[in-house]
Amino acid sequence: MTPTLDITKDVCPMTFVKVKMGLAKIPPAGKLNVLLAEDALKNVISSLKQEGHRVSGVSRRESAFLLVVEKEGERP
Amino acid sequence: MNVVDFKELKKGGMMRQKEAGRFSVRLHVVGGGFSAGQMRAVCDAAERYGRGTIHLSARQGVEIPNVPTESLAAVKEFLGGAGVGVGVCGPTVRTVTACQGCRICPSGVIDAPELAVAVDREFYGKPVPHKFKVGISGCANNCLKAEENDIGVKGWIEPRWKRGPCGFCGICEAVCPSKAVSVCTERGTVSVDPAGCIGCGDCIESCPTGAMGIGNQGYRLYAGGKFGRIPFLGRRILDILRTPEEVVAAIQAVLEFYRAEGKQRERFGDTLQRTGFDTLESFLAERMCVSP
Repeated sequence: MTPTLDITKDVCPMTFVKVKMGLAKIPPAGKLNVLLAEDALKNVISSLKQEGHRVSGVSRRESAFLLVVEKEGERP
Repeated sequence: MNVVDFKELKKGGMMRQKEAGRFSVRLHVVGGGFSAGQMRAVCDAAERYGRGTIHLSARQGVEIPNVPTESLAAVKEFLGGAGVGVGVCGPTVRTVTACQGCRICPSGVIDAPELAVAVDREFYGKPVPHKFKVGISGCANNCLKAEENDIGVKGWIEPRWKRGPCGFCGICEAVCPSKAVSVCTERGTVSVDPAGCIGCGDCIESCPTGAMGIGNQGYRLYAGGKFGRIPFLGRRILDILRTPEEVVAAIQAVLEFYRAEGKQRERFGDTLQRTGFDTLESFLAERMCVSP
């Protein structure tokens, strides 16, 4: 089951830091769900793209967004 | 110096202080940048010729206060040896300000310091009806307050939407600070209101699929802004310019207009209020062969 990281209560740069820490626990090409507030979308997504990860799914959860993040790298 | 010509000294960046016989020496700073060596020379000059203090002005200017009249020539020569010029005052093109631009700042869209050097080289200290300030912001965050300058420049990036990769997730709409992006899932469209777009590029940066790509990117110009006693925000002129050369040509044309239409001691914004912005737009269109 894909783990979910809730950063809706966090602000930059902790949003970025927590996603980075969350992804560190995931194997290459693994998935992590990230639940985040609108304000965090730009910084989190742009830093994910910069580090080579992919956002493969997006859905709304009331006032928040749920991103499905695919970690960069090849499946071990 | 036997007879002191205060007017001439002021023109050359030496400003008479309240205290008799003392001057604040304004330095030539371009885009807020000094090398460490230049900075050291400024510190040495302040200690040697002033009272060991330096003033940082509101527009990235650097001044050495408390220099006695008899040391003005010496401080100028001393600073010149370290590649630091003295500034200007009076009815001239003043300090060109800039942020650190795209080489340093993650938000930067244009190389603001590089453009500042080009604008400074071409126009700094040149005569105009009244003081004329140019400020360059590398992106829509506008740290250098483009609209507060006689001519302001902003790095600008506009999106172009591609249907193919779009997942209609709504992130572009959610992140747009000016609500210029509208996603219509039923019709399968995403539209961007060009009048509302502030050129920040947030929608492009946030798009997970790359459906929001770069459309237009370049330099956005604002004319007629000022602060001081009666502040006025500059207005957007021309379309997005593509190169630093185009920006320099546009400023050249703006200065020609100001020299032809501006009255002595009338700020550019006041000239534009009097003549109308459309007069400037038509002049620029003719001069630069672009649509107003």
